[in-house]
Amino acid sequence: MKRSLQDRLLEWLRQRLPVDAVTEFASHKKVPAYKGSIWYYFGGIALFLFIVQVTTGILLVMYYQPGVQTGYESVRFIVVHVKFGWLVRSIHTWSANLMIFAVFVHMFSVYFTKAYRKPRELTWFTGLVLLGLCMGFGFSGYLLPWNTLAFFATKVGTAIVATTPFVGKTIMEILRGGKDVGAETLTRFFGLHIAVMPAIFTLVLGAHLLLIQIQGMHEPHHWEHAPESEKRYMPFFPNFVLRDLLLWLIVLNVLAILAVMFPWELGFKADPSAAAPMGIKPEWYFLFMYQALKFFPGKILVFDGDAVGVVLFGIGGLLWALVPIWDAKLPQGSRNRIVTYLGIAVVFMIIILTGIGLR
Amino acid sequence: MSAPRTIRPLLFVLAALAAMATSAPPAFAAPAANDQCYACHKDGETPQALAYAKDVHYQAGLTCADCHGGDASLDQKETGMATSRGYLGKFKKSDIPVVCGKCHGAGDSEFKRRFHLSAVSDSLMAGVHGEALRANEKGPQCVSCHGVHNILKVSDPASPVSPGHVVKTCATCHSNATYMRDFNPRLPVDQLEKYLTSVHGQKNAQGDPKPATCVSCHSNHMVMRVKDPRSPVYAMRIPATCAKCHADAKYMAGYHIPTDQYAQYRKSRHGIALLEHSDLNAPACNSCHSNHGAAPPGAMSVVSVCGNCHQSNAELFLKSPHAAPFEKQKLAACVVCHGNHGVQSPTDSLVSMVAPAPCAKCHKQDGTDRAAPIILHMRALLDSLSGGQARADSMMQRAEQKGMDVSDAKYDLKDVHQALVQSRVAIHSFKLGELADAIHPGIAVLAATETAAKEAVHDYYFRRQGLAVATLIVTIVIVLLWLKIREIERDQKAKKPM
Repeated sequence: MKRSLQDRLLEWLRQRLPVDAVTEFASHKKVPAYKGSIWYYFGGIALFLFIVQVTTGILLVMYYQPGVQTGYESVRFIVVHVKFGWLVRSIHTWSANLMIFAVFVHMFSVYFTKAYRKPRELTWFTGLVLLGLCMGFGFSGYLLPWNTLAFFATKVGTAIVATTPFVGKTIMEILRGGKDVGAETLTRFFGLHIAVMPAIFTLVLGAHLLLIQIQGMHEPHHWEHAPESEKRYMPFFPNFVLRDLLLWLIVLNVLAILAVMFPWELGFKADPSAAAPMGIKPEWYFLFMYQALKFFPGKILVFDGDAVGVVLFGIGGLLWALVPIWDAKLPQGSRNRIVTYLGIAVVFMIIILTGIGLR
Repeated sequence: MSAPRTIRPLLFVLAALAAMATSAPPAFAAPAANDQCYACHKDGETPQALAYAKDVHYQAGLTCADCHGGDASLDQKETGMATSRGYLGKFKKSDIPVVCGKCHGAGDSEFKRRFHLSAVSDSLMAGVHGEALRANEKGPQCVSCHGVHNILKVSDPASPVSPGHVVKTCATCHSNATYMRDFNPRLPVDQLEKYLTSVHGQKNAQGDPKPATCVSCHSNHMVMRVKDPRSPVYAMRIPATCAKCHADAKYMAGYHIPTDQYAQYRKSRHGIALLEHSDLNAPACNSCHSNHGAAPPGAMSVVSVCGNCHQSNAELFLKSPHAAPFEKQKLAACVVCHGNHGVQSPTDSLVSMVAPAPCAKCHKQDGTDRAAPIILHMRALLDSLSGGQARADSMMQRAEQKGMDVSDAKYDLKDVHQALVQSRVAIHSFKLGELADAIHPGIAVLAATETAAKEAVHDYYFRRQGLAVATLIVTIVIVLLWLKIREIERDQKAKKPM
């Protein structure tokens, strides 16, 4: 009997790789099925958007030329002259924004379901590193087209870093590659955006995914004392994987509609000697921090208001990151109200401040 | 601590001048009866005293001491001309405006009101002449123009500042290259020479006091630099300055020239550019008529005059088939088609065989005039480019409204505009071939930009159609996938042991 091509390929692989062990693992892997299962998919969506970013980023870098004289012109060339260049750039930009949104939603879903608790602390920490890298990707990539908005937003953004006590100015100069935003800033942001950060991101993402595979999906806390008969699971393969794929296709559709119907504008080339245009603000995912700093007075006692704000944000961010540690010290239970209330307060603060900033 | 001996007399003079400047002016109205200074100097037949007998100040009752200090009532030189009585002697030139300013400066008095005196010495010092005097002792002051002891009323024809003499009085300095070099070496010194050739100058030489002299335009005491916006001859103020006389029908009666030039000019392309848009490069009256040598340009000079700015147009006209017949018929070239004071921005409608187009004034569309079809052809060429430019512009706008980037094509469209400008210049050759040569590069660019705009709009719809197809395909896959998941899960449920 003649064997099919699929069988022969599988056999070929079997002789070289532990295919059976992998299929065995996949066939036994289960995902909890309950009303909160929807949140499991946001990690997958973020992963899909990261793949889109890598693909479109590789296409863009084939034409992009970093430099004060070439950055804007090369992006314009991509948008105007390269076949489907406008689409690739628009998808890259929209996908970046959607990815950061998906990562934020993923983080808050993990926080509110308290999935960061033992033994998943490392998954939480690596996830936060990935969020930070995503925002770093956004910040560095925003400057690359070297247009007016990007130039001045970077100037404002890096100036905020400078208010950090003791080390702020040094960090700002390292970021800018000098005293001001210029050619050096552009080239180092380009290097960070396409080489340094992708490399780190890939490693951390690998660790994050590996941890998920080792520890499995977090089960809801109300299952802790529930009888086995009340717990529902779905097979990871094919059920969860196919649903993931389904969502990816929906996101792809949304992305295509956004990219075509609302192509990302290029604007005008940056003119460092010109006055900053009115209403310069950072990208939406930095807006809550930017807006909050505006509420700080110029001086608080003898300290610079912005510096106090940056320090407070730093402390807040650190507390947020260390939630698996301090949460463990609090009275345990599936409903730790302090953590939940804090999370709700943070979500409201971000939504309100972003809303004010967008006005 | 007392002042050094050497500067004591100087301090005294300064104090005396200050006292004179602040003291009340003399209150006389007829020759002074007891002016011992004048009496002695007259007896001695000094030129000053002889001249002073006719001086307007003498007639008004001013004594020598009113200007020079001292006590005019004393007949002894030693006492009347004693410094202790405020005698100043001969003044430094730069002090003269201060002395004259005692009566002709700021402040109010019965004397000033009686003789209607204004603060002309202050005006002098506020102007360019005062500035020159402060910088250089040789600079002009009151007596430079009015004389010293023989000052006459301006209305007196013998006065050096009367309309008949003022031009030559000004020229004493302004035609003296050596003198002027010390103040403003760049200032021309040929104003008088030019003025004598002007209509103003010729009429002035005939004894007519009404035509403009130096002071009519430049003002008399407060003379400003031409570049000073306060000056009546600052570029933007020249039309109004000329209009003071030329728009006054009563004043101009008898000269048999129109008085509506200013009204026309203000509405003209030139007038709007200069007066409303403050474009100092735009021509004012003097740009065409000259300033000091002001005269109407002759019919055949018009091309040269307009050609100062519209150089290419003038060159083409002089080589055109129109040049010879215009000269023969003494037609004022440019003015025939464009007008003069009321010149408007030309439009392509000037090139037409339909009245009031200027072509129709001379050419007839009766089949015998060979020029008529050429004129119509020229117009068609201009229309093809200007119409095409408007069409391309509108297509670009449409593409941009759809969010498409057509900046390259828009940039190229500037070449079309440039070709149109050159074509509108080339029309002055009145040769079809030259016009066509100027138009054709524009037509070629126009075709390319129109194609680019069309492609951009097409691309816009292609993108949306592509999106619709792609979204539809992905949606079908999503539905199929969903059905597949349902099928798998149904199978799993069915296989599950009860």
